Amino acid sequence: MNGRKKEKKPLRISYEKRKALYGYGFIGIWLVGTVIFFLVPLITSLVWSFCDVKIETGHTSLKWVGLANFEHSLTTDPKYTEYLKATLGETLWKAPLIVIFSLFIAVILNQKFRGRALARAIFFLPVIIATGPVYAIISGDISSTGNTGAAQFSTMFSTNMVGELLQFLGIYGISDDMGTMISAITDNIFGIVWSSGIQILLFLAALQTIPASAREAAQLEGATAWEYFWKITFPYVSPFILVNFIFTVIDSFTNPTNAVMKRILALRDDWQFGVISSMAWIYFGIILLGIGIVTVIANRLIYYETE
Amino acid sequence: MAENSPEKSGSITKKEARRIRMKTMSKAEISYLRRKEAAEKVFPIFRFVILFGLGFVILYPLIYMVSCTFRERSDMNDPTVMWIPRNFTLNVLKETLDAMGFPRTLVTTLLLNVGCALVQVVSCAVTGYGFARFKFRGQKLLFAVVIMMILVPPQVIALPLYSQFRNFGFGDFSVNLIDTPLTMYLPALMGNGIRAGLMILIFRQFFKGLPRELEDAAYIDGCGPFRTFVQVMVPNAAAAFLTVFLFSVVWYWNDYYVSATFFTDTRTISLMLRNLDTELKRRLFDTVSAEISPREQIVWKEAGCLISITPLLIMYIFLQKHFIEGIERSGIVG
Repeated sequence: MNGRKKEKKPLRISYEKRKALYGYGFIGIWLVGTVIFFLVPLITSLVWSFCDVKIETGHTSLKWVGLANFEHSLTTDPKYTEYLKATLGETLWKAPLIVIFSLFIAVILNQKFRGRALARAIFFLPVIIATGPVYAIISGDISSTGNTGAAQFSTMFSTNMVGELLQFLGIYGISDDMGTMISAITDNIFGIVWSSGIQILLFLAALQTIPASAREAAQLEGATAWEYFWKITFPYVSPFILVNFIFTVIDSFTNPTNAVMKRILALRDDWQFGVISSMAWIYFGIILLGIGIVTVIANRLIYYETE
Repeated sequence: MAENSPEKSGSITKKEARRIRMKTMSKAEISYLRRKEAAEKVFPIFRFVILFGLGFVILYPLIYMVSCTFRERSDMNDPTVMWIPRNFTLNVLKETLDAMGFPRTLVTTLLLNVGCALVQVVSCAVTGYGFARFKFRGQKLLFAVVIMMILVPPQVIALPLYSQFRNFGFGDFSVNLIDTPLTMYLPALMGNGIRAGLMILIFRQFFKGLPRELEDAAYIDGCGPFRTFVQVMVPNAAAAFLTVFLFSVVWYWNDYYVSATFFTDTRTISLMLRNLDTELKRRLFDTVSAEISPREQIVWKEAGCLISITPLLIMYIFLQKHFIEGIERSGIVG
């Protein structure tokens, strides 16, 4: 308190500069932490990926080996490329499905109906469970006991009830595409429902940003629910589709239960730090490249209200 | 046209009024209204079916968990037992609680994970506020670092972090922090714990959405920025704090990757659940290599799951109303 009073009287520092200083004050503790716990380890791991690393008591000894580690991970390692392909492939088809599904659920949960609070509470349950070891166990157990909730549920769709219903609601011509998509969703319904908790949450929050005036205008013009979705809802939530897509990709890539991560963890027990670092960086590079491409494409299609 | 004016409709029945209205409408209008009416009747059923089915998919494992926990393991081989156990027992629950080291494990978890979660919410809120309201040099670059924190998988930096904690300090002075709670608390305290980047981002978005007038009024009254933050902004950010706190607790509670990296002996609930198999076999059958059919093992596994999510579930049940409202109102995404 004293220091600031002294500062105020002579007013030698301009208001803007003072505010900038306060800004540094607020982020200071994070900045120090980030250098120690994030940037230094990040650079270290990048250096390690080009080195032969030996951990000895008290210090690590490094020997520069160039790209040998990367070569080893991609060509010599028996499992890495196979796992990499599997993980990439799975993410590639699952992420869009999760995003579409969670948008659909969010739109439904945003309507007013009896029991909405209960429905919301149930749909957000995966948020508190799906990141932990409990999920690994229940998803494994359910397939080993053979009676999946998903299988029971998907029989509901086998009669193409949804397609007919959509047609009845005035949604024509997409039934076939929708049908294939819906069957893809129902086949993997357990994994999809359980990994879309946060996405539903984000979409639900995004739906709140649609102004009431837009809804009224659409109602007065006599828009059907389908038209309303594409002309009003979709443009408003489109930035969040990107956000959710990125979140989904990161979530599934960094999940310790996926095959690549398991491989990396297994090698850690063999103390092959250089090879592991190179594997992690190849993996990270692919994520970054993928997200970059998607962002560039999506930014051309997304509608931003303010900018 | 004068006959159909609303003043007159008071004297005729509703049906007639409706018929008269229909006459004045074009065919397209009528078909639109018909379809709308039909859709309004059918859609709730459709919605119910979808929500009920999916809700079942979500609740199924939980119901199964409860059902398994209270049955004897022989019931697993009995095809007539689906949901309701034939031989009701509390032994499985007791054995699992014992194997997981309750209540000591719970205390450790609360001290370590929940404590870190609390600390991290505070540090991330302060950082997020700094990014939201102040302009300073290098802000864009530093914010790019926050985004990097979200993007970089923890596995990339885990090993260097390990060796860093192993010899923590500068030059000749260094201490071994592995196996001390500091490996979790230090990063959390400095806004670098589990998924800290995401939390900073949420707080930044939230504080950006609050009106600037709030602070300006405080500044004019001679309030310093830190006091403004504590006394004016924090009370207004209750919704965001609650949401992030819930996430934070959940992520720390469920974490086993980070704790498995930095601890060799500390027992948190997540770690105990991972090792439940061997621990149980050692206790119940005196040997790690005991053969039990995988189907029968399920009872203990499910009991372990139930035990480890119960505290979270209780918290969720109490907080979920505020939590969902908070997300709707706080404008976290805007």
